[in-house]
Amino acid sequence: MKLKEICRELGLEVRTAKEKLGREVTGGYASDLLSCVMARAQSGNIWVTLQGHPNIVAVASLLNLAGIVLTEGVEPDAGTLTKAEEEGVAILTTPLTSYSVVGKLFDLGVPGAD
Amino acid sequence: MRELSLHILDAVENSINAGATRIELIIEEDLAKDRLDITIRDNGCGMSEEQVAHIYDPFFTTRRTRHVGLGIPLFKAAAERCEGYLTIASQVGVGTTLEAAFQHSHIDRAPLGNIAGTLLTIILFDVGDVRYVHRVDEQVFEFDTAEMRAELGEIPLTHPEVRRWLQEFIAAGEAGIGRSP
Repeated sequence: MKLKEICRELGLEVRTAKEKLGREVTGGYASDLLSCVMARAQSGNIWVTLQGHPNIVAVASLLNLAGIVLTEGVEPDAGTLTKAEEEGVAILTTPLTSYSVVGKLFDLGVPGAD
Repeated sequence: MRELSLHILDAVENSINAGATRIELIIEEDLAKDRLDITIRDNGCGMSEEQVAHIYDPFFTTRRTRHVGLGIPLFKAAAERCEGYLTIASQVGVGTTLEAAFQHSHIDRAPLGNIAGTLLTIILFDVGDVRYVHRVDEQVFEFDTAEMRAELGEIPLTHPEVRRWLQEFIAAGEAGIGRSP
């Protein structure tokens, strides 16, 4: 499934890297511990978190993730948006909780990374 | 990371990569003030002002194998999440001192974790001497491998029997100060 379709289905607001919306999403991973994300998330995954600091862009870039969903209405730090645009990392925001986002992703057939 | 000891190990690896031959690790737990402070001091090659200015930026790394370095940024985020901070002071040719402070009782503070295992790993890297101080209020566990080495003479710290002794010594020392998780 393409990132664009996920954004439409879940009503996510696209905040950065609009040019990446055509990317195929290979699966999903959810955690707020960046070290766990680094250990488990796979290239092409969509990552669900409520951390908004610039380190998330570094993790997504390192792992070549398809995009980051920031939940619970978290507003990314200014530095995060600038860096994400530079690095071509798609940041998507939603007022939904991480739990709900993951549930909806499962309903759409996006598998877990395990 | 799920344990502060992993952040410590990561920072010490930086010290070792900087050519440090002496590393001091000081953990101070002050329960009355509700603080947990970690200091890591090394005599490695140090960093220029410009390098220090960039060290909190995950897109700055001296490593060439990839373009992001997350060790320090993650350690800093862990401290700031807990009403704390992380600072780094460095001087080229002298060394680097890292200080990370946490609110001890903060609900998001990761436990120290397997500090005994981390210490043993650091000592057995065997790149130099390690001074360790762990204070919990009035109780202190401390040692310096330079003193151990002087007593051991020719026998290296990595000798299997020394290693076993070290393991027991550190476990007993940590248990003795009744450290909190």
